[in-house]
Amino acid sequence: MSKQQQIQEVIASLREAVADISGAVVASPDGLVLASDLGESEAPRAGAMAATGSGLGRRIAETLAVGSVEEVMVKGDNGYVLVYRAGDKSVLGVVAKGRANLGLVNLEARAAAEKLEKILG
Amino acid sequence: MVWQRLKLVVSGPVGAGKTTFIQSLCDDSVVETDEVASEEIGKEKTTVAMDFGRAFFGDLELFVFGTPGQERFSFAWDVLMEGAFGLVFLVAGDRPASFPAARRMLDYFVSNFAVPVVVGVTRQDLPRVWASEDVAAYLRLSPKEVLGLNATSRADSRRALLRVLELWGVGVEGESAAEGTVPKAPQ
Repeated sequence: MSKQQQIQEVIASLREAVADISGAVVASPDGLVLASDLGESEAPRAGAMAATGSGLGRRIAETLAVGSVEEVMVKGDNGYVLVYRAGDKSVLGVVAKGRANLGLVNLEARAAAEKLEKILG
Repeated sequence: MVWQRLKLVVSGPVGAGKTTFIQSLCDDSVVETDEVASEEIGKEKTTVAMDFGRAFFGDLELFVFGTPGQERFSFAWDVLMEGAFGLVFLVAGDRPASFPAARRMLDYFVSNFAVPVVVGVTRQDLPRVWASEDVAAYLRLSPKEVLGLNATSRADSRRALLRVLELWGVGVEGESAAEGTVPKAPQ
């Protein structure tokens, strides 16, 4: 199975595990989409935004001395956008509904990020 | 004493020298958000969110923000331009292949933000490089809006900034071409 297919599979199983996740994107740290289940028009921008969120988070975490960044969360009044650092080669962006169980989303998405790190390692 | 704080944005296509320009211009250490580039862009790392530094000119304190260059980061251009008084737009003078993208990008800025713009044509230290007048013609700008520079030169980066301030209507005492004028804040 190609890396692309393996990444796509990680996204599919994440979606399957948490019904309230409404979309996911895997991008390189400089914002190029590696795989996504978002719409074709939406994916490039979401991938770039995930990289921006993670990159800015990394700089903030370093500057304010809280270590190397692992996650960035954006909470809207109608849902969440979460970005997880998946090793050095990718970032995972997840869009979740407002009613989502955030603990469950984190649990599954962190596991997915670990898988991505292994695939791309 | 600082009498006015202004926000300046530095933009332009990938590889134009934005981060270097800000490092040259700014007086303190620059906050960067660079990541390893996964495309062939002629360098190892690329800005994904913004650069930030401060520069002092006479009584002015400038907050300088650099944008990412790739079009996929255009959302960040909008965010960073909020409240900016002017724009320095850099183009790599030795890479004519990047000129069409530069023109598209510049059109975007000019049509969305009513601020003075100075175009800097970088890499003037190289033997094969476009002159600023030729780039001005290509971008359909007046020659006074375009200047050649080296992004690594502090003097060049400050000159570019002074040009933006002049277009905006502010001279900086002791540094401006308009000698002896006391800076006034436009309304």
